[in-house]
Amino acid sequence: MNCGDGIDTRQIDELFINLDPIQAGGRLTTDAMKAVLAYGDGYSVCDHCTKPFRLDHISKPPLAEFHRDLASFLHMDVARLVPGARRGFQAVASALVKPDDPVLLTAYSHYTEFLSVEQSRGIAFEIPANESHIITADAAADRIEEVIRTTGKKPALMFVEQVDYQYGNLHPVADLIRVAHQYDVPVLCNGAYTIGIMDVNGKELGADFLVGSGHKSMAAPAPSGVLATTNEWADTVFRTTGIQGDLTGRTFGVKEVEMMGCTLMGVTSVGMMASFPHVKRRVKEFDTQLQYVNRIVDALLSIIGTKVLSEYPRKHTLTRMNTTDSFDTVAKTHKKKGFFLTSALRDRGITGILAGSTRVWKFNSYGITKEQADYVAESFLEIAQTEGLPCSS
Amino acid sequence: MSKRSVDAVFQGLFLLTDIRGMLRETVPHHRLTAEQKKEAEKILAKLEKQIAILKEELLA
Repeated sequence: MNCGDGIDTRQIDELFINLDPIQAGGRLTTDAMKAVLAYGDGYSVCDHCTKPFRLDHISKPPLAEFHRDLASFLHMDVARLVPGARRGFQAVASALVKPDDPVLLTAYSHYTEFLSVEQSRGIAFEIPANESHIITADAAADRIEEVIRTTGKKPALMFVEQVDYQYGNLHPVADLIRVAHQYDVPVLCNGAYTIGIMDVNGKELGADFLVGSGHKSMAAPAPSGVLATTNEWADTVFRTTGIQGDLTGRTFGVKEVEMMGCTLMGVTSVGMMASFPHVKRRVKEFDTQLQYVNRIVDALLSIIGTKVLSEYPRKHTLTRMNTTDSFDTVAKTHKKKGFFLTSALRDRGITGILAGSTRVWKFNSYGITKEQADYVAESFLEIAQTEGLPCSS
Repeated sequence: MSKRSVDAVFQGLFLLTDIRGMLRETVPHHRLTAEQKKEAEKILAKLEKQIAILKEELLA
């Protein structure tokens, strides 16, 4: 079935339990799907845009209120919608980082955090992870000292990930920020995998900037996200335009420079807003999701040779497994080779794991029900038993 | 302009979206609980009403 010339109708989430590492938290609520139907047209939120002509001032639909609610939800002072977390990184780096400024990132920083530094012509320095794949405050302190010693400058900005995309580990962000602040280094906390899934309190973390992803963790259409900050930094990162056309004399009101004026002007902002009441509720239920992911990981670990590379018990639903000594031993002789596992899962109505993976792979069980968690766990065991892999229970 | 038919289109789409949500919630086997079946029945009855409105407004 097509939804346009040559465009297949996507039915993945209607037909399969989708464990895709980056898709789970962005799956739309039914309210967001309805908003998509009503606000699909390009500038559809602009019908009632009046002075001062800026997205965060529009009251119908209630975007002004939504901006205030978002800031309050994150326990920050000011929030803006951005077209994806990456545009939040870009805005902050653009405002704070000057050419040749050192910037701290971590061994698990997303590539777009690096690109934001590169675009501002800063120099990237990474904080290494420890053996447990955690970024520690001690490692951050050591790296800050080293940067100051070698460059003669303190870092202009530090990026930290609350939960990283590689292991799904929860890092001690409050401690990391405390250390950075001792050196007067402002910190951007990347909450792409937490904001909208877990309860995130920017004030408690001490974050100067909090960035979230709508399409990754807030049940919103892409590209969407949020950048929140404190009153201390709001004027810097949300500075308003002062430029003037030299011939026409035109000026551009209260448009914000780093935001490039208005940001999410249709389906993205309204989709995000429609999901928001659900998001506010679901962050309180994250512990239940942890029970489900641990149920799946426990089942996988009962297949002899399987290891979990993420911290365990799980503190997040994004999880990295190593099945080199279990499922990959089957792949060596199976007629479908490495594709046997994802094929067997697909036969059981489960998808989202990188096709052909039997060694190191990731899954994200966020948003599934207890019945679905049990079914996924049992499916892994059933596949292992069918292929003659020994299981401990 | 038939506001009634436009409302019926959106109402119908929203009701179908609720069914879509139900399909997602019960994936992969779409085995509905007794409660979900009752809910689906209600939604489909409302959907039929919207279709009847559209027939009245557009085809009469």
